[in-house]
Amino acid sequence: MTGVPLGPPPSGPPPTVRPAGGRPAGVMRVLGLPVLALVLVAGVLGVQLDKGGGEFEPLRPADACVERGVTSQAEGIEGLTERLVLLGVDGAACRLGVSREALTLELAQPGERSDAQVDALREGLEDAVRRMKRDGTLPPASDLADEALEDADLNRFLKAAIRALPDKVVDGALKTDDVLIRAIDDLDLRELLGNLDDQDDLNRQVEKAVTDAVKDSLLDRLRNLI
Amino acid sequence: MAPLLAVTVALVLADSAVVTLALPDIVLHLDASVTEVAWVLISFNLVLGLAAVPTAMSFARAQPRVLTALGIALFAGASAWCAAAGSIEVLITARCLQALGGAWAVVGCLELLVAERGERRGVATWVTAGVVGTAAGPFAGGLLTEAFSWQAIFVVQVPFAVLAVPAALRARAVPPAEPDRHRPALLPNITLALMSAALTAALFLLVLLLVEGWRHSPGQAALTVSVVPVAALAARPLVRLLRTPPDVEIAVGCFLVAGGLAGLALPPSADLAWTIAPQALVGLGLGLTVDQLTSQAMHLRLPRVRHAAWTIGARHLGVVVGLVVLTPVFTADLMDAQEPAEVAITSLVLDAPLPPQDKIAIAKALGDALVGERGRVPDLGPAFDSLDLAPAQQPAADRLEVQLDEQLERAATHAFRDSFLIGGGLALLALLVVVLTSVAGAATGAVSGAASTRRRVAS
Repeated sequence: MTGVPLGPPPSGPPPTVRPAGGRPAGVMRVLGLPVLALVLVAGVLGVQLDKGGGEFEPLRPADACVERGVTSQAEGIEGLTERLVLLGVDGAACRLGVSREALTLELAQPGERSDAQVDALREGLEDAVRRMKRDGTLPPASDLADEALEDADLNRFLKAAIRALPDKVVDGALKTDDVLIRAIDDLDLRELLGNLDDQDDLNRQVEKAVTDAVKDSLLDRLRNLI
Repeated sequence: MAPLLAVTVALVLADSAVVTLALPDIVLHLDASVTEVAWVLISFNLVLGLAAVPTAMSFARAQPRVLTALGIALFAGASAWCAAAGSIEVLITARCLQALGGAWAVVGCLELLVAERGERRGVATWVTAGVVGTAAGPFAGGLLTEAFSWQAIFVVQVPFAVLAVPAALRARAVPPAEPDRHRPALLPNITLALMSAALTAALFLLVLLLVEGWRHSPGQAALTVSVVPVAALAARPLVRLLRTPPDVEIAVGCFLVAGGLAGLALPPSADLAWTIAPQALVGLGLGLTVDQLTSQAMHLRLPRVRHAAWTIGARHLGVVVGLVVLTPVFTADLMDAQEPAEVAITSLVLDAPLPPQDKIAIAKALGDALVGERGRVPDLGPAFDSLDLAPAQQPAADRLEVQLDEQLERAATHAFRDSFLIGGGLALLALLVVVLTSVAGAATGAVSGAASTRRRVAS
């Protein structure tokens, strides 16, 4: 701690508190501490920047127009639906010029949807079907049939008849992409988006539409076969 | 007696920042906003800063022992009222009274310490107590908040003050005040004010980042920010070792504080370890500047008590400037940080390796958590705790929670970046004042030297 010596009142330039004993300051005395401070500050900032100090920021959303793979932990229609919705929201966001996350958060808010949003989402979902077909990630229709029939309100003889059809027959009669495109076309997206409690309702409602579409297509085909 | 007076000085000056770590608790307990709660700090520093010089003037007309004892008593009473405050308005009013009493106490203690210990040791004790109090305030406040509650910060001041009042009354009589002979030391006081503003950025923002942004407890944050006072104490031996001239010491101190604040603006992660080295720089800078500037501002200037009051005014008005400049910046940045944080959280939830139904449950719980936090950085733990997930999904949910917490930490850290850098800018401004003062001093010296040479030649 620096003390304050007694003495006469000051005059002239500001006083120095610790007299140097009458000797001029040596180079080391003047430069020692500044050099040490420079080294310390440069060292600290250098290490921090080297370890990513300038980049410690929240995750930035990826470009929605750049294709990316999506996976689902669910199987069957639920898994298919989740992948469709994820890819569909990507495509819609790309068309609207926003990020997937921004569109998702926007859709989670209550309120009216614009025509642009509805059209973009429908086209995004259809693009998703086409992309999955192109990638070979669409399941054959026979994989979806059992699940679609499970909760369907159908005569049990009819269900048994459909289940008895060989997978080849089902797959030959039904093209998954056609079924899905039909389901998407039939969806009243404006109403669906208007009633969303949260963005994940989209999953549930698209899943129901896909299930219904598979079931209806199977029934149509069965009637034709019979 | 002298130790009690020194403790009083440390307590009063610690109060300028002692509640910093308790602010999040006060926000919750008194249902206040961040801006309102900043006034708990601003009001104290503003009143102390404005009252210091008029208080010192009042010492010319009264016996310092009595005024000092009255000041300590008012400070203690107002501290008790702070502890009992049931609303933010009452707390702010009590803080104003506390600062008024504090101004009498801290200025009066200087006179009593000088009377007790002599000029040199008395002033040195007073300056040291102030530096220690300022540096250790947030640390002590954090520990008390963690161990008891935010009210404990104010309660513990009462017994100290109760002992200090009779100590002040028993102090030696102070000789009559010297006449007003010198102008205030403008440049050291301006530098002191700028450094106080910068140091406010370091302490106030850092503790908010640790507690609010990184969700550490006040106790952990208090231990973390204790690096600053420890490093400040290390500054003196370093200077003695290098025998550095005072102006160089102050300039280097300003530079170290600026560097430390830049370091706090750029941590590579939310690990507490990354704050240690920048805090050490800030602490060293604090140790090199504040007592040296205080001493320069008071050096050989009479009456001593009035020039000491100018330094108190400069320091605390500097704190006010720091808070007034930085509070709107970081609150606005925190608001702006919500959007990128929400986007990051949405992205992670959408891509989480969890079944859709679990994602839906998590999204709903997170939505409720975000609404419940009323704009503060949310604690996502309760949202995840409320989930009823299958055991097989728990590891993925735990990973997601960690990732989401990291995104919130990133967003909060980013939100404080500009404020830390502004604080660093204030320290650089102080450095500029020091450099310009030194240059001007050197030029004046050269001119007077040349004039005396000419006079010698002519004679």
